[in-house]
Amino acid sequence: MRLALHAALAAWVALASSALAEERIEVVTTTTDLRSLTEAVGGERVAVTSLVPAGLDAEEYQPKPQDALRLKSARAFVRIGLDYDLWADRLLLATPNGTIRRGAPGYVDASYGIATLEVRGMSVGPGDGHAHGNGNPHYWLDPHNAEVITASIVAGLTRIDPESAGTYEANRTAFLARLTEKIAQWEAKLAPMRGMALVAYHNSWPYFARRFRLDFVGFIEVKPGVPPSPSHLAGIIRLMKERGARIVVREPTEPQRDVAFVADKAGAKIATLGGAVGALPQANDYIALFDANVDALTAAAR
Amino acid sequence: MSDALAFLWLPFLVAICLVGIHAYFGIQVLKRKVIFVDLALAQIAALGATTAFMLGHPAQSLATYGYSLAFTLAAAILLAFTRNWAGRVPQEALIGVIYVVAAAAAILLIDRAPQGAEHLKQILTGNILTSGPHDLALIMPLYAAIGLLHWSLRSRLTGTGSLAWEFVFYATFGAVVTSSVAIAGVLLVFSFLIIPAAIGVMFASSLGRQLAIGWVAGTVTSALGLAGSFAFDLPTGAAMVCAYGASLALAGMLYPFLRGDRAHALRTTIAAARWGAAALLAASAVQLAAAPRADQPLLDTAEAMIPVLRSLYLSRNEAATFADASTYAARYGADAEQLNELERRNRTQGEALDDFSIARISSFLKSYGEMRKGEQFVMQEVRARARERIRWAGALGLMALALVAAPLPWRRLAKVSG
Repeated sequence: MRLALHAALAAWVALASSALAEERIEVVTTTTDLRSLTEAVGGERVAVTSLVPAGLDAEEYQPKPQDALRLKSARAFVRIGLDYDLWADRLLLATPNGTIRRGAPGYVDASYGIATLEVRGMSVGPGDGHAHGNGNPHYWLDPHNAEVITASIVAGLTRIDPESAGTYEANRTAFLARLTEKIAQWEAKLAPMRGMALVAYHNSWPYFARRFRLDFVGFIEVKPGVPPSPSHLAGIIRLMKERGARIVVREPTEPQRDVAFVADKAGAKIATLGGAVGALPQANDYIALFDANVDALTAAAR
Repeated sequence: MSDALAFLWLPFLVAICLVGIHAYFGIQVLKRKVIFVDLALAQIAALGATTAFMLGHPAQSLATYGYSLAFTLAAAILLAFTRNWAGRVPQEALIGVIYVVAAAAAILLIDRAPQGAEHLKQILTGNILTSGPHDLALIMPLYAAIGLLHWSLRSRLTGTGSLAWEFVFYATFGAVVTSSVAIAGVLLVFSFLIIPAAIGVMFASSLGRQLAIGWVAGTVTSALGLAGSFAFDLPTGAAMVCAYGASLALAGMLYPFLRGDRAHALRTTIAAARWGAAALLAASAVQLAAAPRADQPLLDTAEAMIPVLRSLYLSRNEAATFADASTYAARYGADAEQLNELERRNRTQGEALDDFSIARISSFLKSYGEMRKGEQFVMQEVRARARERIRWAGALGLMALALVAAPLPWRRLAKVSG
């Protein structure tokens, strides 16, 4: 009897929650940052999944069979673009879901309208750790760019769900108000570091540097996936000594050994910053990501 | 120079230690014909470390090391048995299976853990360049102890003894490989293991001499590889592996000179070199005649090394267009870099540029990129057309060079026809 009651209860809960899920619009994003921003504007109206789980390197992600299933039932798809999540192209080509293909109403390329940095036609000039001719893709690391990104997301959501347009716009306005306040705080906290020389493992930080006026003078990794040569490392260490760089910025997915080696030789500290939401345990949404990064930087500069 | 020394002396010492123990194990491994056993053991150790990581132990803790070691010992038991199981299926096949299953199992585990992939990568792709005194402090006593153990047990660890002695062999080898792969990476450790041993085995038959030759070859090659990686700005591990490959090739080429009829060896070498050159020239001739617009590896390399060669087949107009396009391409590239540099400086200096100015810069940069691509297209097109024009003459010329290079017995041919 008791068992039957439990079973009935469980079935009811399952039914109720699936009914609730049907209410919400399923949105798939490529990264956790976009998930956080989509949740910020979508609020209760959306159920968002990120294809790349928190803490994985999105540039090297390999899609899984489950990802194809997620796309199949999605009504909107939000991606970083700028060749950052190229692996998503093959998923999109394979999906039978016509509403999220490139150019369809549910397709959102969040890089649309972003003022891109470090555009290099076809790999012009010295290597800087990127094979991205279309510009450096880490634009979400400038919190001001969230204004543009959320605008694209609201436009996409409005296309597939016009009735809730007002809700999305209101959510976005509230989020941006909170963000603007936070940006002022972050800028104040990082103001003493203006112009301070920093070194990073990978060139993920130009947008962040531009917003907070930081000076990344060099990178340990010259090409993604290729270990640095001894002369490059010697050059970096010499540069750090010349410019008085006392901080090496590392993301949790980047090799501890090489970073520790450079920091040790140059007498610098290591600051571990998250390149995406969820990369650090305390960075569980877009604003918390910057809180964590700003704290890590100021702690290392002390 | 002082920079180079300051950077390379520690990796060099580490390399000497690694060559010291691996050359010995390499000779044993070659004798047992279990060439890829180090990859299997390294992968098993990585699987152990991954399991520890999944259970919540930090990366460099005692627990993680314990798991690694336990997995390696279990694998050593398995490997000791593979010799007996190897009947119809060769032992090497079983070792290969252990390797791929361990690698795949680690990926399945990692899939469940955030940041696990990087963790696994770090276990298997050490970087000898960033090895430090703590690495030396770990491996020197370990390798010395294992070396002494093997020396005292040398009559037992022959590969023909009982299962227990085979277990001792694989267990100690596992301990060596686990530490060395974390320092130098899978590729380089495999080179340390096999190549000095192979060179030693090639030139000597007693273990002592094989070891001595292997150690000298390994030490010299490591020094050259490290120096080359500094001088030519190359990733160290990959440069060293290629240096090892080259040293094995060189040893193979020297072998006939040191062990046999020198005059005959010299003649064979020269003939082989001439046939090689002839084949290359003939293939280029066919490629030029058949597909003049496609890549011409030989011509492209020659032109890159001696640009004057281009004037041999470009008309004056074509040469002018080519030079013009090349100048403009370089100028657009430089202009774009200047603009990028301006933006970079502005991040910290002066009044910050607003988004509108940044967007303008980025659209300028895109235009520069397109213009540069256009100029490069012009260069390619000019060259392709000129090559199309001279395809037959060029192919004939190359073919004639091939005939000259080939060691054909001209005199005998002349006699026969005459």
